[in-house]
Amino acid sequence: MSRPLEGLRVIEFGTFVSAPYCGKLFAGHGAEVIKVEPPGGDIARAHGPFPRGEPDPEASALFLYLNTGKKSVVLDPREPADRDRLLRLIATADVLVENYRPADLAALGLDYATLAERNPRLVMVSITPFGQQGPYANYLGNNLIAFAMGGQMYITGTFEGGPLKNGGYQADYQGGLNAFSAAMLAVLAAERDGLGQHVDISIQRCMAPILEASIPYYCYLGQWSGIRRGNHMASFIGIYPCADGHIGIHLMPRNWKPFLEVIGRPDLGEDPRFATQADRVAHNDELMAELYAWAATETKHDLYRRAGAGRAPIAFVHTMADLVESPQLNARGFLQHIDHPVAGEAVYPGPPWWMGPGDWDAGRAPLLGEHDAEVLGRLPA
Amino acid sequence: MSQPLQGVRIVDLTMVWAGPMGTRLLGDYGAEVIKVESPRQWDLLRALGLIPRDVPRWYNRSAYFNHNNRNKYAVSLDLAHPLGRETVLQLCAVSDVLVENYRSDVMDNLGLDYETVRSVNPRIIYVSMPGHGKTGPEKDYVAYGSNVEQLAGLVSISGYEDGEPMKTGFSYGDPMAATALVGAVALALRKRRLTGEGCYVELAQRENLTMFVGEHIVGYSLTGELPRPMGNRHPHHAPHNVYRCAGEDRWVAIACETDDQFRALCAVIRRHDLAGDPRFATAAARKANERDLDPEIEAWTLQRGHHEAMHLLQRAGVPAGAVLTTPELVADPHLRATGAWVEHTHPDAGTWEMEAPPWVLPRTPGHIRLHAPGFAEHNDWVFRDLLGLDDARIAALYAAGVAADTPDESLHR
Repeated sequence: MSRPLEGLRVIEFGTFVSAPYCGKLFAGHGAEVIKVEPPGGDIARAHGPFPRGEPDPEASALFLYLNTGKKSVVLDPREPADRDRLLRLIATADVLVENYRPADLAALGLDYATLAERNPRLVMVSITPFGQQGPYANYLGNNLIAFAMGGQMYITGTFEGGPLKNGGYQADYQGGLNAFSAAMLAVLAAERDGLGQHVDISIQRCMAPILEASIPYYCYLGQWSGIRRGNHMASFIGIYPCADGHIGIHLMPRNWKPFLEVIGRPDLGEDPRFATQADRVAHNDELMAELYAWAATETKHDLYRRAGAGRAPIAFVHTMADLVESPQLNARGFLQHIDHPVAGEAVYPGPPWWMGPGDWDAGRAPLLGEHDAEVLGRLPA
Repeated sequence: MSQPLQGVRIVDLTMVWAGPMGTRLLGDYGAEVIKVESPRQWDLLRALGLIPRDVPRWYNRSAYFNHNNRNKYAVSLDLAHPLGRETVLQLCAVSDVLVENYRSDVMDNLGLDYETVRSVNPRIIYVSMPGHGKTGPEKDYVAYGSNVEQLAGLVSISGYEDGEPMKTGFSYGDPMAATALVGAVALALRKRRLTGEGCYVELAQRENLTMFVGEHIVGYSLTGELPRPMGNRHPHHAPHNVYRCAGEDRWVAIACETDDQFRALCAVIRRHDLAGDPRFATAAARKANERDLDPEIEAWTLQRGHHEAMHLLQRAGVPAGAVLTTPELVADPHLRATGAWVEHTHPDAGTWEMEAPPWVLPRTPGHIRLHAPGFAEHNDWVFRDLLGLDDARIAALYAAGVAADTPDESLHR
């Protein structure tokens, strides 16, 4: 059968990570996604890693991954003729995904009011660091700034080392995923009511409430202990170096016994210092010393398999090589080999969830302007 | 205007964080969510509220639970009992979506697998949110919160520059699975409109988060090189870091992406000499010499508060952000002005502030219609009004201990 978003036309007027990730999820599920790139292309094309380390706008791993299944057209919205084409293109669309600063988009005459006048069914999705309104709406932002202002950075890393963002472009991905979910809600409403709307995604607002219990405890009880704890929330929730990498344990009270069996230390179960979770908290540093000494003797694959069989929540820190070789991910068909005319074949993860056979088809990323003739050649007046 | 998910009824069999937060988002945008808890195995989040156990109905006062379970109804049913299983199947028969986040074998063992549920309602959308997925050699492995990002490859690329891999300061995979749930359910609802049939959706939490490092997987497969932690730095741009400010443990993030922004930064900190220094003249030069640049910037930030530094830099066109603590997030003038926090009242817990629905859909806005349900708060409504059970049947559920009005408190003492 056809994919769930067949028949939906999406224009992606966005750069780098957040809007492209949102657009990628639309494309993979069957929407026609037309990516509008400026002359020279999305800035992600300038970002590596590149095959053989040689920069090539058609071989950026970042671009290749984030733009699977899309069509590419080149338009310069500062040029009146191109701006007119862009407006005519958006008039044909069900969804517009963009991630420009509100003031910059308005300066191009691409505000929602103007677009909705021509296309009242349009769902416009804007992904910005701070949202469309409010005192910081036009402040400049990016992944690092969102990490700071979204509160996730203050609690990551060690106290001494200072606030730390986690790897890659996580704030931008958060924005892209939030935008996709919100956009899909607006698509359902538009198909029901015949009316679109301007969906406003503030990355800061998406990030701030999800710091585990931090916001609930502070708002309700006035309690806050959000210090950076490095790799250990406690001795029994954290990451330890092992002989050939790093392992992670996350032990709830009921996991204590199965854990000790897996690691071959039933004696710790007899130790009154570690009898209950409260005891383990009270003797945190002593337990941590035991666990550091134990973990150093383990190898990650062997331990992980034993933990799986023994139902103990132990994982290991997967490197990219571990992911590509993962028995689990490969058995499930989660890693797909996709060819590209310039970059060649590479391994791509996906889909993010499974709905049924044929419901996801990533496709490959487009060459810059590859679909100019097909898309722009038959634009309605 | 009615909300996007108006008329969509959801049977919520999830507990703790990822599942409940996801179904709460569905509730925020109009779905009717019915949370099912066993009197013996009820949601752990009710116990993680720091509420003394001698407070009446302490299990209804946990803010952690109440934030993640607003906009829901609650019914108590022990699914391990035949009567409980039968009753939840009756509920599935009149619902649109079922969401569960048990370990991969639990629903099958309860006799509540997809085929069984579909046999009572072919239009149902059945969503499983296991850690590893429902298939594959690791499907029954146990993975909790912080394990997910280790399995997703994220931890291997996180950490201080060339330091050891570093965890995120919270269980990052959970809220990302919650966020993905909404998109997946909406997709399945559209698919149902096209096909007339429901479907099975499987959202493996480690796979959902692995999508967030996809460029590194593609990159590794193209180059054979393993990416390393790079702290707060960027592969191409500099300066790109956090800088200590006046005050205890206060910081500002600064991330220049253009020459213009760097020149503006130099002007704000009155260091025009840096703008003219060949070591910092181009993006490539700044990147190569970023370690020399950082102390020059920090000499200025140390003299400023983190908010002050951010505003002075932003007004000059430099991307900068104060590194906010939780109290500062709640007080943040921008979040407050845009309605990110709202006052909320709960009959057992009282009045406090919580996060508003996160996405602004102006024509069909999210709302908080219902406070988080007390344990079993809506038993009567579900049994009598939704399912049409008679008095004798309801009495039988209570007599068998399948339903109860109060939870077994010994579970989470």
